[in-house]
Amino acid sequence: MTFVYLVVFGFAATALLGLITSWIDRKVTARVQYRAGPPFLQPFYDIVKLLGKETLIPAGASKGAFLIAPVIGISGVIVVSTLFWVNQFFSEGFMGDWIVAMYLLTVPSLSLILGGFASGNPLASLGASREMKLVIAYELPFILVALVPVISAHSIRLGDIINVQAGGVFAGSISGILALIVAILCVQAKLALVPFDIPEAETEIVEGPIVEYSGPGLAMFKLMKNMLLFVLPFFLIILFFGGLRFDGINILWTVLEYLGIVAIITVIRNTNPRVRIDQAVRFFWGPMTLLAIVAVILALKGL
Amino acid sequence: MSFNLIIDALKNPNGYFASTPLSLLCALFAAMFFIFTVIYSMKHMKGRSGLWRYYFYLLATFISTLGVLLTNNFIVLLVFWGFLGLLLYLLIGFGRREGTPETARKTLVIVGGTDVLMLLGIVLIWKLTAGSSGLPGLFSMPIISGMKIQLDGTVSIVAYICLASAAFAKAGAMPFHTWVPDAAENAPTPVAAYLPASLDKLLGIYFLTRITLDVFVMTPTMNTILMALGSITIIAAVMMALIQHDLKRLLGYHAVSQVGYMVLGIGTGNPIGIAGALFHMFNHAIYKSCLFLAGGAAERKAGTSNLAKMGGLVKSIPLVFVTFLIASLAISGVPPMNGFASKWLVYQGVIESGGSLWVLWLIVAMFGSALTLASFMKLIHAVFLGQPSEGVKKILSKEKKGTGLLMGIPLVVLSMLCIVLGVFAWKIPFGEYFSPEISGQVNYLGIWQSGLATLMIIAGMVIGSLIYLAGTMKKARIVAPFIGGEKFEKNPDMRVSGVDFYKTVKDIGILKFIYRLAEKKLFDLYEVSMKIVAGFGIVLSFMHNGILSRYFLWFVVGLVVLCIMLI
Repeated sequence: MTFVYLVVFGFAATALLGLITSWIDRKVTARVQYRAGPPFLQPFYDIVKLLGKETLIPAGASKGAFLIAPVIGISGVIVVSTLFWVNQFFSEGFMGDWIVAMYLLTVPSLSLILGGFASGNPLASLGASREMKLVIAYELPFILVALVPVISAHSIRLGDIINVQAGGVFAGSISGILALIVAILCVQAKLALVPFDIPEAETEIVEGPIVEYSGPGLAMFKLMKNMLLFVLPFFLIILFFGGLRFDGINILWTVLEYLGIVAIITVIRNTNPRVRIDQAVRFFWGPMTLLAIVAVILALKGL
Repeated sequence: MSFNLIIDALKNPNGYFASTPLSLLCALFAAMFFIFTVIYSMKHMKGRSGLWRYYFYLLATFISTLGVLLTNNFIVLLVFWGFLGLLLYLLIGFGRREGTPETARKTLVIVGGTDVLMLLGIVLIWKLTAGSSGLPGLFSMPIISGMKIQLDGTVSIVAYICLASAAFAKAGAMPFHTWVPDAAENAPTPVAAYLPASLDKLLGIYFLTRITLDVFVMTPTMNTILMALGSITIIAAVMMALIQHDLKRLLGYHAVSQVGYMVLGIGTGNPIGIAGALFHMFNHAIYKSCLFLAGGAAERKAGTSNLAKMGGLVKSIPLVFVTFLIASLAISGVPPMNGFASKWLVYQGVIESGGSLWVLWLIVAMFGSALTLASFMKLIHAVFLGQPSEGVKKILSKEKKGTGLLMGIPLVVLSMLCIVLGVFAWKIPFGEYFSPEISGQVNYLGIWQSGLATLMIIAGMVIGSLIYLAGTMKKARIVAPFIGGEKFEKNPDMRVSGVDFYKTVKDIGILKFIYRLAEKKLFDLYEVSMKIVAGFGIVLSFMHNGILSRYFLWFVVGLVVLCIMLI
């Protein structure tokens, strides 16, 4: 039964929703830049086309690690999305809790770093090292703000966090809204989107860790990123809006919340230049952490 | 006197020795590490002189460890504990680096100095509990039976601090940690894996558990202090690890950082935190000795442990790379490895500890875990992946692959244990294994079905592999890497060694200042005390320089002071 959830929700539904989100993102970006934008099925075409391309392995790469990295990444994102879906459906809790979710969410970054290191390319090494620095930069404020719902709900079970919010979402409180703002910026960095696309920086180090990937390997990394584009907003909805709701008018609210988060991420990425890695680290360890600490203190005070 | 005691103890073991499930478990692990160290040393230490002494010291260390774990008498414990310090000093001496003698001396001073504190602590306990029974009472104080001394007076608090200092120095927790990175760097690798990485952790944390839970009754304040020390240890040591340039020294800082989780767990004072701390102790011993042994194999292959001169070793020792990767995922707490399972327990203990400070400890512990991952990614790049250095290229071209069976077996078994203990963590009955430290069932706040999660990870990987199969995996082709059109072979300076990955972090704001102080060794208790002692020396030698006029000056000054006092 669990595996049905894994395949149907963890993989298929998440991939579908992720690809659709990616289309929304690309379409909005195109409209901002006065372009027509891609057709609705373009993200699917991209993946399918990549699957048909040949697999190139750079000379000097560690073949095994190079090839297994995308598999680890996609497996990580499938497991974490299954975790969210199942906790969404069964409130008594299942497989893992908040701590597990926080740890599993670093697995995609880990796979990118491993793949970049294994490719033996200096540009990939640089990109992957930036990815790692970005992870330690955003992880501090992200843990802090993700703790706000835990403090408010007095539980680390995702099911409890969802249930407590049936009476009123955390995003409605001062601490919740502060935390949500910081969390969205952290998600921006987790997705490595502008202004935090430092690890990829196409114009500078040609997509960093994935510079050497082609064919199915690249398809998997692209799919992983698209799935994350759904999974991370989903996590924020669980933490701050009480999860997805399917009863009556609440469907509309859920869709609006989701689209709202995606819209903010897209707008940020279209209106900002790329920052340097040291600026990003300063930004996350400075103002963002301060804001997050304020949110945590407010949450402890019950606000 | 103590010698007679040992003889008496051997004649009449029932009065002096006793065991609990925890101490038996520790002894079992100690035996495992002893066997692995011996197997590994057969290859690693081959061809050295004085090897019979080396193996004798290893055996003596093992026996003393058993003595500490299985005794039920404070004085017997102290004697074995002292032996261990001395043996550590002797074993470090087998290193062949420039800093080895100084490191051995430093270790002896720190570990031996805290042994004195331990003796003081024991005498204070004797005074508190059995002072009236005279000297025989000192020699018959039981550890395990549970004295439950209240930490309400100055004497009992001082006694606790003395004993805890000894445990901290052995385990390598702050502020007595400084010998661990030095020993990791300058001792032979099997010794580093055997003592600072595994046995000393088992002993230190075992003793800390004993005194914290059996001998004394903790107060909330003392628990908070323990948790604060644990958190500081986690974060400060891992920050130092980030910027290291030497493979073994970096691992040494992690050996310090991980103790923080154990101290933090014990400091929570609730069953789940303590179970987490003890589970973490075993897990840490497994993955850290695996890391040291794998690092030693890489060092042996590359002929250096300087990270800037390694890189690309995966082609030469692929098996070592896999074990190192598994162990580094375990230490970074990536699910479903064993490191995650125990950290997960510790975090719940922290959450349950109440108050509002738990948020701080939890953040520090979780963030420390991210930093651990970061520094291990750096290691993996600098040692195994990335671009090979000139030296490694030569090795790759001529030497044969692999590292040999003797060094391979311990690595494989230890890394398998990392996975097995993680996957089956949900089946381990902590309440049974760690009684009487924790009594009854451990109630989890959260959920972690590690077996199920592992199955799902495997299912996810199957889906990933299917995507590969759906693609063009068969037509894979080797091509030159793309570096903006340049040829990598013609530009060797394009190589990224990975040593300076976190230079950005080092140069940020207040961290820059703290790092500079740390590099001046201002946080090193040993170096600071050395400076203070040297400072006294300067003052004294200024006063006694052997010249008559100086002495006459002191005479006049003394006379003046005397006159003033008399008037």
